[in-house]
Amino acid sequence: MRVVLVGYGPVGARFVEEVLPAVETGRIDLTVVGAEPEQAYNRVLVSEFAANKVDRRALDIIDAEAVAATGVRVLTGTAVTAIDRTARRLTLGDGQSLGYDRLVLATGARAHVPALAGLSQVEASTDPAVPADDRQVRGLPAGIVGLRDLADAEVVARAVSDRRRILVLGGGVLGTEAALAMADQGAEVVLIHSGPVPMARNLDHGGGQALARAARRAGVIMLGDFRATGVICEPVPGEGARFGALLGEDGERIPGDLLVLSAGVRARVGLAAAAGLPTAAGILVDPSLRSWADRSIFAIGDCAHVATGRVGAGAESVPGGPRGLIGPGWRQAEFVAAQLVAEAGRAGGPVLPETEERPPVVMLKADGVDVLAAGRVMADPWDSGSHALGCSGGVEVSQWVDPARGAYVKLVTVDDVLEGFVCVGMPRVGAELTVLYNGQAELPTDRSVLLRLDAPALTTGGAVDRFAPEAVVCWCNGVVVKSIMDGVAAGDDSVECVGRRTRAGTGCGGCRGRIAELIGRQATVG
Amino acid sequence: MATTASHCPYCALQCAMSLQTGADLPEQQVDHRPPVGIGSRDFPTNRGGLCKKGWTSAELINSAGRVTTPLRRVGSEFVPVGWEQALDDIADRLRSIGERHGKDAVGVFGGGGLTNEKAYQLGKFARIALGTSMIDYNGRFCMSSAAAAGNRAFGIDRGMPFPVSDLDGAQTILLVGSNVAATMPPFIGHLEGTRERNGLIVVDPRRSETARLTDDGGGLHLQPVPGTDLVLLLGITHIVLNEKLYDEHYVQTRTVGWEGVRRSVAQWWPQRVQEVTGAPTGQLREVAHRLAGGRGTYILTGRGIEQHVDGTDTVTAAINLSLLLGLCGRPGSGYGTLTGQGNGQGGREHGQKADQLPGYRKITDPQARAQVAAVWGVDPDRLPGPGVPATELLGRLGEQIKALLVHGSNVVISAPDAGAVARRLAQLDLLVVCDFFCSETAAHADYVLPVTQWAEEEGTMTNLEGRVLRRRRAIEPPQGVRSELWIMAELAQRLAAPGVWDTEAAAVFDELARASAGGIADYSGLSHELLDTEVEAYWPYPSGSAGTPRLFAERFAHPDGRAVMVPVRSRRHAPRPVATDELTLVTGRLLEHYQSGAQTRRVEELRSARPQADLQIDPATAQRLGIAEGDPGAISNLRGEVFARAELSTGIRIDTVFLPFHFGGRQTANALTEAVVDPISAMPEFKRTQVSVRRADPVEVQG
Repeated sequence: MRVVLVGYGPVGARFVEEVLPAVETGRIDLTVVGAEPEQAYNRVLVSEFAANKVDRRALDIIDAEAVAATGVRVLTGTAVTAIDRTARRLTLGDGQSLGYDRLVLATGARAHVPALAGLSQVEASTDPAVPADDRQVRGLPAGIVGLRDLADAEVVARAVSDRRRILVLGGGVLGTEAALAMADQGAEVVLIHSGPVPMARNLDHGGGQALARAARRAGVIMLGDFRATGVICEPVPGEGARFGALLGEDGERIPGDLLVLSAGVRARVGLAAAAGLPTAAGILVDPSLRSWADRSIFAIGDCAHVATGRVGAGAESVPGGPRGLIGPGWRQAEFVAAQLVAEAGRAGGPVLPETEERPPVVMLKADGVDVLAAGRVMADPWDSGSHALGCSGGVEVSQWVDPARGAYVKLVTVDDVLEGFVCVGMPRVGAELTVLYNGQAELPTDRSVLLRLDAPALTTGGAVDRFAPEAVVCWCNGVVVKSIMDGVAAGDDSVECVGRRTRAGTGCGGCRGRIAELIGRQATVG
Repeated sequence: MATTASHCPYCALQCAMSLQTGADLPEQQVDHRPPVGIGSRDFPTNRGGLCKKGWTSAELINSAGRVTTPLRRVGSEFVPVGWEQALDDIADRLRSIGERHGKDAVGVFGGGGLTNEKAYQLGKFARIALGTSMIDYNGRFCMSSAAAAGNRAFGIDRGMPFPVSDLDGAQTILLVGSNVAATMPPFIGHLEGTRERNGLIVVDPRRSETARLTDDGGGLHLQPVPGTDLVLLLGITHIVLNEKLYDEHYVQTRTVGWEGVRRSVAQWWPQRVQEVTGAPTGQLREVAHRLAGGRGTYILTGRGIEQHVDGTDTVTAAINLSLLLGLCGRPGSGYGTLTGQGNGQGGREHGQKADQLPGYRKITDPQARAQVAAVWGVDPDRLPGPGVPATELLGRLGEQIKALLVHGSNVVISAPDAGAVARRLAQLDLLVVCDFFCSETAAHADYVLPVTQWAEEEGTMTNLEGRVLRRRRAIEPPQGVRSELWIMAELAQRLAAPGVWDTEAAAVFDELARASAGGIADYSGLSHELLDTEVEAYWPYPSGSAGTPRLFAERFAHPDGRAVMVPVRSRRHAPRPVATDELTLVTGRLLEHYQSGAQTRRVEELRSARPQADLQIDPATAQRLGIAEGDPGAISNLRGEVFARAELSTGIRIDTVFLPFHFGGRQTANALTEAVVDPISAMPEFKRTQVSVRRADPVEVQG
């Protein structure tokens, strides 16, 4: 069976890995077409690479030699320009064509270029080697980049090491992460967002406040409630126009050396749409990830919009859209790979995954700034009604706010199971909430139990009373303070005496000092 | 008073002890006191100390429940029977079962507590006296994952490739999935220095006794979700690579395969690891940096990460991390696994394993077969091929396997899905159990054959550092009790087996030494006589050498001398929605008990300190389930139901409960575990079982 994968990002790479055994046995003949000149790399770490926090090798995600040795054909730096669905053939940027039995689209997403005065006149790139979806981004003036791929990252990395002033436009997860990573490496960074708090899509107001404060403390200049309306580009001899400043609706002018666009992404659907496949926020696929219109075509990852197909429904009105997160993308890759492997072996396919996946946990990747959020988080503790009356089944909201220590937690539960949460500045609590949310586990009735996980008493034992009657002194023999003190009170006046009576100190010997201390203590008290 | 130098009968630390005998032994004044006293003896592993199991071990010798004559089942009862009659009947029935159903219809189940001589002889007995391939042992439940990982990485499996006292000077020790403070307490003496340097890092979903050693600034405790250790280790490796904390020169010159490992961990960035494990990114970073601190780092693994269906890969991840940091073979640092059972190390080297011959050689290797067959005096073609691992062997009982011989093991307590094991034992045509007590497994037997205890026998044990030690006889066994070497010799003679069947341990050892010559675990330079000089006998100890205290200084045991880094992947990390009332059960050990408890539950001091299985549960979880401290709890799933008293503790995750596996009857924790195994090592999953917990009615508990 001839399978062609278009798009070689981390989701495509996972797909390749999963079908390798079938390629090895000859049941699947796999060709991979990637537009970037690179082998697949880990896009999730691109902003850290851009901030010079990790090197290029850290991004490698697939064993290219092993893939090639297995017999997979990998065409990098190659765009697909058209799909002929009737003939089941692809046309490539270099004019060649490629037949398929099954086509998997993993074309991902590109940076969204917001409508800004000064950018609308920019001409789109006309390079045929650039996929249609990317021509607008590729045509941006110097000093303006999206932050999606290695080429973008290299531009940003240079600005960071040259200590340039960098503007990040967009306060979503990716923009905030990028700003924090750059600030951590000593760059001057301004994070510009339109609402009152960053990450407004994921965080409630309190969580957003806590994040903004933490980001400021980490050295990022936070500029909220800013509506960008245009850019000013200045001509630079020899290189055309170059970014100079961002303009706000009230005429403010924010100068900078580099503008990083982080105003959302758009699925790359151009190729699919041109072939007549239905698209909305992404390529429309049913829960088995097959195109609504063509059973031989699949879409996975950031370009896929999973929705139950309805004949005649207007594609624009389909709710939902791509998740934009790697975890669900990888699960889709694994699922489609399993389907194709089964089909190639004429075996039964895998069981359909749960259609109703819970909204995933969103986690900010930044050193020292711990932010986690998931699901429904906007509910107000005093609005939710039924819990006040003690009825079961209601929404309950619990909150912990401690601005001086930068801590903020909100828990939204239904029937004691987390529906959503926000956690800022409490790493251990956040990690635990993530596990509880994903496992849909029931929370303790006393929610404050969870808040104590970051408490120093639990992590360092600083508050543990070493002389409490039940505190263990001798681990080897399981002897507690009380047993020793009873003996001491009865006249045991040396470590050896205590050992003969209780066996304390007769194992590894590590507690003999403490036994002496206990004897001395008794002497002082007595 | 006379003293005999020996070692403790329990765990792999094999603490030295002195056995005191003689008329002037003070304790003998009281009639029921043991005929031997336990005294302190200086030795590098325990430095004269013992834990309470060791101090009380002599009580086993004349314990009221000791079997002192062969027992034969008649209906539902056991009746005493003479040795001749028992052995004649057993031999007859083994022969006829073999003739009727084929030789593989007879199975042998050994143990990691047997001396090297017994383990060796048992493997030989199965292969040439019974002619069966169906032999395996309880070490499959103990060391198999670490062994498989060690073999593929280093080309050799010696749990600790360095003396345990090397740990004393370490700056940092990462202990992953091991509760040494309860399982081999005197070992913690070797962690003291590291604790003083604030460098002990313990990974355990419970705040175990060992985890609490990190209190007071002693170090750091990571408490991941049960079963996520592999992801945790991949995540730490990711940080070590990305933050360039690894030893590039070492990796380039002493290992192969690291590029694959680098790519395989690329996807495990810290935030993702946090999401799966519940261990915060800050802690992960701190661990990575401490490990790379450079002033003496050890990584040690235990059953906590090994007893899983991905145990081999998890240990491999720990080894990969050690190799990246350049720890293995470098003075003052290293990787090791802490062997559990008394002779868990030696027991896995000399032929009890389904696929192995003495000297840690593969039974499929023609050269090994020829050499061992020559020592045994048989044609190599007479040796059977590889058998099946323990869990599969037990799964065949009553079907392909009609008769089973059990030595040093209590499978009704220690095997996964123990209820099914008990049901299958009942379907056997013949079950023969050699033990000193009527264990829960012996209770199912057709014959129970009483055997000698440690203080009554000669032999050798190989401790967790790969050091061969002498076990010495201090007292005569009770009349009617025999050594397993004698039993095997008698049966071999009745079965008209070829070969020589010595009954003296020293002679069997000499034969073992010859059979192991040239193998991985080469003992050919050793003898009881040499060991009696208290020589430091670390294997490999080929003839003419002085042994090998430290491995890997120059090369690893693969043909090219390099360690192999094998990329591993986690296949079960996706968040899995579980029913909200389900909890994860982790099984493990208590200070007071050893293995299935067949011995320690018979020692009054230990039994009264821990008379029953308690269910460790977080107070908030218990409150939700309506369970108070001391309440009877019922823990159940599809396979069974276990009753245990609730012991509330904030030292366990709220989604996890803990049961010790040392108890029987309605407290058999392994009635809940599943007989699923690691595809490489065949290790069962003991540490991640879904269960429901409820408050039980006191009547149910008594029932």
